[in-house]
Amino acid sequence: MHFFGKEIDQYLNQQDYVDTAVIPLLPLDMSAAGMKSSAGASEYLQSLTALLEKQFKGRILLLPPISYAKIANRQRIAEELTEELKQTKFKHVFYLTTDAEWRTIDSLKNVLWLPAIPIEDMDQSFKKSVMEDQLRQVLPLFMKEWSHHS
Amino acid sequence: MSNNRVSRRQFLGYTLTGVGGFMAAGMLMPMVRFAVDPILQQHEGGDFVLTDQAVADITEEPVRVDFAFEQVDAWYTSEVTNSAWVYKEGDKLIALSPVCKHLGCTVNWAGDTENPTQFFCPCHAGRYEKNGQNIAGTPPLGPLDEYEVRDQDGFVAIGAVRDNTLV
Repeated sequence: MHFFGKEIDQYLNQQDYVDTAVIPLLPLDMSAAGMKSSAGASEYLQSLTALLEKQFKGRILLLPPISYAKIANRQRIAEELTEELKQTKFKHVFYLTTDAEWRTIDSLKNVLWLPAIPIEDMDQSFKKSVMEDQLRQVLPLFMKEWSHHS
Repeated sequence: MSNNRVSRRQFLGYTLTGVGGFMAAGMLMPMVRFAVDPILQQHEGGDFVLTDQAVADITEEPVRVDFAFEQVDAWYTSEVTNSAWVYKEGDKLIALSPVCKHLGCTVNWAGDTENPTQFFCPCHAGRYEKNGQNIAGTPPLGPLDEYEVRDQDGFVAIGAVRDNTLV
């Protein structure tokens, strides 16, 4: 489900079934040199999470991307997010990111780091097959997590 | 020569009525035609989306067929890609919606290795028969929706979604 008013109504009624939160972590680089690749990574991450949401609509709540400046203190973001999510009933929380720095943060579990693929110049059907390929790499990680702790 | 001869006055009257009638008809006909035009429009085919899946390649085993259409959401137009599970029952094409009736995940044909002839929803292990009938004891409460589907010049065309008519 998306983080939309209407879908949250549904979520609140179905909390036993929707037990997984997915949080995209999105670094912003506004320098002239880095802007293009930062935007490309954002496009990639949001396409991927949208596709993931379509596949698992009834089990995951996709939060809007957490965007932060590239100098941001990842450790602090991690702590604050964890604190906020403590109020929810989610059994599983996944973080998806293209930002390699998250790999050094140990306090977050289930951070899926994916190297961004520049999809902006691909035509529709090729882009679709690439994204579905990417999705196929991520799906087993979800299935594994769910089968372990459910 | 008949007995009632046509007088000059009568002759003029007939001719003028005749010519006037044609002129009036000439003006009115297009107007009427324009007025009734909306009901003469052919609606057939307008709501069907043509896919690139050849009908000849469809077997009794459901295959995923993608189709794209434009969706307008307030001021934002986007191209939406949907898919359908299409198979043949005898010669009849059947297209089922992949949206699980439980909470809206996407179901897969033979997604569960233990039930290779059923649709499987990976979210909460919901299962459906090939005709979309939900299997009792799994979370879904209704059968999969069905798409209107037809053969358009040898390719699958997918129309509006409706309640399942097979179960």
